[in-house]
Amino acid sequence: MQSAIELKNIKRSFKNHFWQRKREVLKGISLEIRTGEVFGFIGPNGAGKTTTIKIITGLIEPDSGSVSIFGMNPHSLKAKQRIGFLPESPYFYEHLTGYEFLNIHARLGNLCNHKEKTVTLLERVGLKDSLNVQLRFYSRGMLQRIGIAQAMIGSPELLILDEPLTGLDPIGRKEIKDLILAEKDKGTTIFFSSHILPDAEAVCDRIGIVIEGQIREIGDLSALLKKGLSADKISLEDWFVEQVQRETEDVRTDE
Amino acid sequence: MNRIKAVFENTFKEALRQRILALLALFALLLIIVSVFLEPFALGEAPKIMRDFGLAAASLFGVLTTVIIGSTLIHRDIEKRTIYTVLSKPIRRGEIVFGKFLGLGGLVALLVLAMLLIHQVVLFIYEGNFAPHLLIAFPFTIIEVSVILGILLLFSSFSSSTLTSIMGVIFFIVGHAMPDLKLFAESTKVEALKYIAYAFYYLLPNLENFNLRSELAYNLPLLADQIVFSVCYGLIYTMFLIYITTLVFERREFK
Repeated sequence: MQSAIELKNIKRSFKNHFWQRKREVLKGISLEIRTGEVFGFIGPNGAGKTTTIKIITGLIEPDSGSVSIFGMNPHSLKAKQRIGFLPESPYFYEHLTGYEFLNIHARLGNLCNHKEKTVTLLERVGLKDSLNVQLRFYSRGMLQRIGIAQAMIGSPELLILDEPLTGLDPIGRKEIKDLILAEKDKGTTIFFSSHILPDAEAVCDRIGIVIEGQIREIGDLSALLKKGLSADKISLEDWFVEQVQRETEDVRTDE
Repeated sequence: MNRIKAVFENTFKEALRQRILALLALFALLLIIVSVFLEPFALGEAPKIMRDFGLAAASLFGVLTTVIIGSTLIHRDIEKRTIYTVLSKPIRRGEIVFGKFLGLGGLVALLVLAMLLIHQVVLFIYEGNFAPHLLIAFPFTIIEVSVILGILLLFSSFSSSTLTSIMGVIFFIVGHAMPDLKLFAESTKVEALKYIAYAFYYLLPNLENFNLRSELAYNLPLLADQIVFSVCYGLIYTMFLIYITTLVFERREFK
């Protein structure tokens, strides 16, 4: 079966200023996301999650390695036709209404019947009553929902969600999680990045743990939990903290 | 084509709803109306000064609107990360550049036309008749705005909005000083300076090509070959700027 996303030995370095040394952010990331699965890309802040997502979506290029989306170059319009993307902490055109914003994204996605699809989706994400309100008057939770909606418009086969639950109150998180679970039930492949572990635990089939630009663990959630946990630690959060602490100790020992 | 239309509409609506636009329009209106009160200082030339002043106000309004809104046109999308969701859709980067150019260019064209029509009304009230030949200034103002917008898009595709707006103003001032630069090149005795002045004269946009205010205000004859040259020069220069902007924007990474 064809993979939804395939990354092979992706490396990427950055330097903030020309006089500074390059810092290697990704040190050889290899991943394969199967179609139909919900994959949690988990890691502490600065681990390289967003950089990986930007490479998958073609916003930046890897220094080396290869990326493919459904076997295609991520820059190709055919590949983009099959994905929906929600960036981390998105800001949208604040003077557009919810309807206008979503409709423009529907048209960018070459959708026919874009007006009907826009209204249907606004209804689905619970924003039908606010469709004529400008986005600058939306709450954080409403903005996140319209963000998810622009990713979902056209029912893409692959959803890439970068920290979709960050900064939301419990009600907002529940609403977004429900939307993700509904997409999961429809069979959409979801690539979900987060550092909020209980949320990942609630929606993901498989997870990959990225620490300091490298994948440290990858596999089925239940298998990973069984593998690394002592009897009194039962959550992904406990297991993750243990992994990060162990990695940090390894780095100190190497130094 | 649909995608360019979507970006065009998005840019048009976003720009139209910015508060700064209302302030600029008010400023231009005041300038047009205030020309009526220049009569005591006009030494019998009041109608001609009113015409010149009105055309200059409409042109200045167009240029100021273009510089203020155009300098943030691409950069703000990058800074606020709205560009991420747009780029994740099946759209070419060149289509984004062209759609934005048409969106702001179209809005400025409408507003400048409105200002020129208001100017006609002011003239009618003051003189008792319209001066429709003054509307010939409209296409030339729009070509000038297009060249400036092309420069702004080019700079905003790789630099900050502050630098972009500074460059827009510099190009506007230098562009109108081209005849003086040519005079300098012809008269200087220093060979190196002569070559540098000529290089700038031929490379930088000569915005005086689009300034017909004196001819129109004082009913001087317009030369057909000069008009054809000005139109072709403006269109080719604008297309070249959009092409270069597209090349730069296609290679840009969004770190």
